[in-house]
Amino acid sequence: MTTRRVFLSAGAALFAGAMPAAPARAADPDSAAAFVDSMLRELLAVANGGQPVTAKREALARIVEARVDLDAVARFCLGRFWRMATPKQQADYSALFRRVLIRNISEKVGEYEGVTYSLGRAVARGEDIAVSTVVTRPGNAPNKVDWVVEADGAPKVIDVIAEGTSLRLTQRSDYASYLSRNGNDVQALIDALRRQAAAG
Amino acid sequence: MRATVHSRFLARLGAVVLGAALLSACATAPNPADGEAVAEFNALNDPLEPTNRVIYEINDGIDVVILRPLALVYRAVLPDPARQGVRNVLDNLASPVVLANDMMQGKPKRAGDTFMRLVINSTIGVAGLFDVATGLGYPRHSSDFGMTLAVWGAGEGPYLMLPLLGPSNPRDAVGRGADIAMDPFTWIGKGSTVDALGYARTGTNAVDTRSRYIDDLDRLKAQALDPYATVRSLYKQNRQATIKEVIADDRGTAAAARRAAPSR
Repeated sequence: MTTRRVFLSAGAALFAGAMPAAPARAADPDSAAAFVDSMLRELLAVANGGQPVTAKREALARIVEARVDLDAVARFCLGRFWRMATPKQQADYSALFRRVLIRNISEKVGEYEGVTYSLGRAVARGEDIAVSTVVTRPGNAPNKVDWVVEADGAPKVIDVIAEGTSLRLTQRSDYASYLSRNGNDVQALIDALRRQAAAG
Repeated sequence: MRATVHSRFLARLGAVVLGAALLSACATAPNPADGEAVAEFNALNDPLEPTNRVIYEINDGIDVVILRPLALVYRAVLPDPARQGVRNVLDNLASPVVLANDMMQGKPKRAGDTFMRLVINSTIGVAGLFDVATGLGYPRHSSDFGMTLAVWGAGEGPYLMLPLLGPSNPRDAVGRGADIAMDPFTWIGKGSTVDALGYARTGTNAVDTRSRYIDDLDRLKAQALDPYATVRSLYKQNRQATIKEVIADDRGTAAAARRAAPSR
């Protein structure tokens, strides 16, 4: 079934965001790979550690904060609507986006238990560097996950591509569709995100 | 009894055709003056969106009431190794079709892998129950006639949500029909027992596949503001990436690779 492949991606996309604060220098493929490697180690150390779940979630949230360029991802996901938004809307949206994304990632800490990965090649992808990994969840087929790392400045993750599906493209498509069905009103999206943030 | 075989084929094909028949309403194009909105509309390539959304809702309703509960029970009742065995048998049954597509795509390494998997897993793997071949260096991959058509240069066409079958497009829908037609199990055997086994296979495949996505789909539906659009995006991206990978795969057969490799 085709849906099988499609949702593998959704599964791996859960990894959506962790990236560490490594030394600030324009990243070459090797240092981008090292960055991803250290981030995944950090992430799995938390997932497999002995702390209570709430502590694990907090630790995971800190990793995401440190390793992902959350503002850049937020801007990308709003697409052309970013320029239509007022400065206040941009700020509200970015703050809510951070909260929802971090929560979505960290609340699944239990699912990362026992996960293993192997580091593959790092290659330039446009202005960024894509570091490929194969991630295996116990009892599941291995998933190909590419981590897209910004090459300028301190390395930070800006996208995760699981089985060919880009997390930020998928998210942008979700927001764009919601906006087009709600009169292209950025405020409607912000309100929806506020409801999501409150619901958790 | 030729008739029963035909009816089996027609029954499996029926859903695909039904999908094509239900397409009528069209999406409203954006204001042509808004260049970015027009570009976005064209990139989505979902002119039948209103109809697709209706079918999505129906599929989702069926899923909530029937398929997801069955998948939950299935996952709760069968232990992991048993479910893996079921998956292995289903994959093995599908491999003749995968092999045919690998060959039509002109991919010798992939065809070789599938052929070896079929031989090894059907014998040493006890009729497909155990996936011995992966450990021996013949990993599984999927292949279908939609991919074959893409390798031959066919475009995907507009996005389609098919009744019961889910996300697709004209190319992949035609491919699905062709895969059913080229499946030896569609044509081999006769009588009610064979028919029952065929339905059991289709049903088990649906429930087993669904059981592997319970958590992912629950999360998708909870987190997406527009699950329909999210599914559409995931399907298209995944399909395009898979096809790109197949087209780029220019490996020869495993034997040729061994000959070419320097001795260790």
